[in-house]
Amino acid sequence: MANIKIALAGNPNSGKTTLFNELTGSSQYVGNWPGVTVEKKDGILKGTKDVVVQDLPGIYSLSPYSLEEKVSRRFLVEENPDAILNIVDGTNIERNLYLSTQLAELGLPMVMAVNMMDVVKRNGDKIDFGKVGKALGCEVVGISALKKEGGLEAAQRTVELAKNATSSKKRPEVPHVFTGSVEHAIAHIEESIQGKVAQRSIRWYAIKIFERDREIIKDLDIGVGLMKHIEEHIRDCEKELDDDSESIITNQRYEFIQNLMSKALSKSEQRKNKATLSDKIDKIVTNRILALPIFILSLCVMWWLAVAEGGPGTVLTDWANDGFLGDGWHLPFTTHEVDGKDFEAASEEFAKAEATVKAWEAGEKTASIGDEETGETSDEWTVDEAAYNAAKEVEEPDPSKYGVWVPGIGALIGSGLEKLGVGNTVKSLVNDGAWGGVATVLGFVPVIFVVFLFLAFLEDCGYMARVAFIMDRLFRKFGLSGKSFIPMIVGKGCGVPAVMAARTIENERDHRMTVILATFVPCGAKTVIIAMFAAVFFRDMWYVAPLMDIIGIAIIVMGGIALKKSKMFAGEAAPFVMELPAYHMPTVSGIWRHTWTRLKGYMLKAGLIIFPACVFLWFIMHFDFKFNLLEDEQIAESMLATMGGWIAWLLKPLGFGSWQGAAASVSAEIAKEQATATLGLVAANMDGASTAAHVTNLFASFVPACVPEASKVAVAKLIAMSFMVFNLFIPPCMVAIAVTFREMGSKAWGWLAIAFQLFVGYVLAMSIYQIGLVVCGCGFGFWTAVALLVDAWCLWMVFRPARRTNA
Amino acid sequence: MNAASVAVVAVIVALSALAVRRVLKKGAPCECGGCRKCGGGDCHCGK
Repeated sequence: MANIKIALAGNPNSGKTTLFNELTGSSQYVGNWPGVTVEKKDGILKGTKDVVVQDLPGIYSLSPYSLEEKVSRRFLVEENPDAILNIVDGTNIERNLYLSTQLAELGLPMVMAVNMMDVVKRNGDKIDFGKVGKALGCEVVGISALKKEGGLEAAQRTVELAKNATSSKKRPEVPHVFTGSVEHAIAHIEESIQGKVAQRSIRWYAIKIFERDREIIKDLDIGVGLMKHIEEHIRDCEKELDDDSESIITNQRYEFIQNLMSKALSKSEQRKNKATLSDKIDKIVTNRILALPIFILSLCVMWWLAVAEGGPGTVLTDWANDGFLGDGWHLPFTTHEVDGKDFEAASEEFAKAEATVKAWEAGEKTASIGDEETGETSDEWTVDEAAYNAAKEVEEPDPSKYGVWVPGIGALIGSGLEKLGVGNTVKSLVNDGAWGGVATVLGFVPVIFVVFLFLAFLEDCGYMARVAFIMDRLFRKFGLSGKSFIPMIVGKGCGVPAVMAARTIENERDHRMTVILATFVPCGAKTVIIAMFAAVFFRDMWYVAPLMDIIGIAIIVMGGIALKKSKMFAGEAAPFVMELPAYHMPTVSGIWRHTWTRLKGYMLKAGLIIFPACVFLWFIMHFDFKFNLLEDEQIAESMLATMGGWIAWLLKPLGFGSWQGAAASVSAEIAKEQATATLGLVAANMDGASTAAHVTNLFASFVPACVPEASKVAVAKLIAMSFMVFNLFIPPCMVAIAVTFREMGSKAWGWLAIAFQLFVGYVLAMSIYQIGLVVCGCGFGFWTAVALLVDAWCLWMVFRPARRTNA
Repeated sequence: MNAASVAVVAVIVALSALAVRRVLKKGAPCECGGCRKCGGGDCHCGK
């Protein structure tokens, strides 16, 4: 049982969570924009058994206006922590002290940890800790949470103070920051509420009552008579200072801080009127004209690295799929040629010989090899008897002769099953179901790794905070608040915390709208879908991947505009205040922690969710409703095919109206990356030597018969694009849906959110497919007309005149 | 179906059941706002 509670409190983005992670050994999500910590989180202080450190949401004051303020204030006031560790951004100490003066008034033992002292020193600034400590009645120490310097010592000192305070019961010195008449009124209020609150916090309560804080007045149950008496004192003071009580307190606090800083802070003469490096970078990065193109460029660079042919993501993905998880790979620097050929050339020669034999035996005069992944014919030649006889002599190359060959997991499982002597059905269960599904998802981990590594870099260096700022400017033009974009940045990782992060938006209409829109940013799981389709269908079109992010943002902007023009969501945009952290070079450990936390989750999910889901799907794909085991050619009678068929007709206008398309889309509600695993499973009996070839052939089978031969490959890609867009922009996975229902506050609102998301995903996929068919020369049909009409209606909803509101 | 096949199927079914049990038992999402599903039953906050 823990018996000392330390509250970690401070402004947003002052480094609380970084310090919390250092103090407790946790790996809480750290972000350099406000609203990352919505709920309080606790952990045990390293090296102790009985000290709980409580990480509170970042706040600017102890007012009860925002959710973060409410959560932090409730903890500090109602849950009686034993001491406060107030973390202060040393590079912005003046603004941070506003909260510190309020925390000091709570009367709890407090240590102020001035963070980012490394930057302060580098800037040539000096802070006199002694003067600050004396003025605020607390101990002040300098730390650097990022560099892990001084944080633990500050926490240990806080624990000592907490222990001493418990034994001595002596009330710490509280700062007196107000002028005579205000202090006089506060003293009267203190006298009036004696016995109603703990003695050590009486000054804080008195100031709050002076500010006419409704919650405090209600909580203390101050009678009408007493309140009338207190009101007299407040009004006298207001009359004397010619201002309202809340403004008096705010102004005098700032005056006190200004006065203190003039004595305790000496800024480097060189820096006083000089623009910092961050200011210079911001002049370009947040420039009105350049900001958006730079943001789009950064998305393109990220996706190019992840999915472009020859890029690190693709090279690693190919190795993961074909080598590590597939047949195996040669150890680098050990390969050599045999008979003047390397392994790749020998394999190609064998594939050609195989095709020649197959063609000759089938009575064909030409043989060809298709590109395994694109399905396009890459090489064609004539076949005669001599060529057939020569081809029959070609032996399959033994990889171990060409270098040190490391067998892949897939090959090891295959040979293991062979040695055990298991039947073909069980081999299929393992290779296509259990292992196949997991391998499909794991095979794209390198792409996620590159994406998350890049995002972690952008977050840690301070750029993502600028993105919120840029988006605020864009959003505000359309009556939306930039505050809504913060959950969307969080949503790039996972939709669930994104929906939860929308809680920080106080305005209920904007909150609900943000919940509806937040999951349109493709999350990490959806990144797997993008990665698969980029690798299988769009290898030569890497820009399709960043286009998905851009479409997501466009839906958010346009959807937001359309919703804002409806009666349910109309109203002014909520104000959005955020500070831009100084740019800094991220640490390797920080980037790695961000990336690894997310990657680990994906790998665990592949084992714990994708694995059982694929086993279940394999069973319902290989049994009918009478539980008869089906052969490969009977799979169309399986439970999965039958159930998929029930909804497949709904997907006909989207181009993939088959049981396979329906099964993949519905199973994606378990977890979005399940769509890729299910596609691999349902396409397993297609022609081809790899999952990519199976999936290519599956989508080729969706192409309508009316499409001219020359357009077939293009239409298959069109269907793939439609499928990808549909699965990216329909409602998120079931967990995110459950959270959406909870956050929307009622079933009706929850269903509205789901209906909106389903509508957007469906219309977008239908438009892409139907308009694409016309472009490919496949004619104008009924569904093309429907798609155009719905698109026109959507554009009208976006561009129609706004409603007049009184809000 | 031979004994080896039965054993392999039994292992797969057992592993699946264990995985589902773990995810369902922990529930999702976590009170801190993190996604337990993304962590395969564990939230990044450790709860």
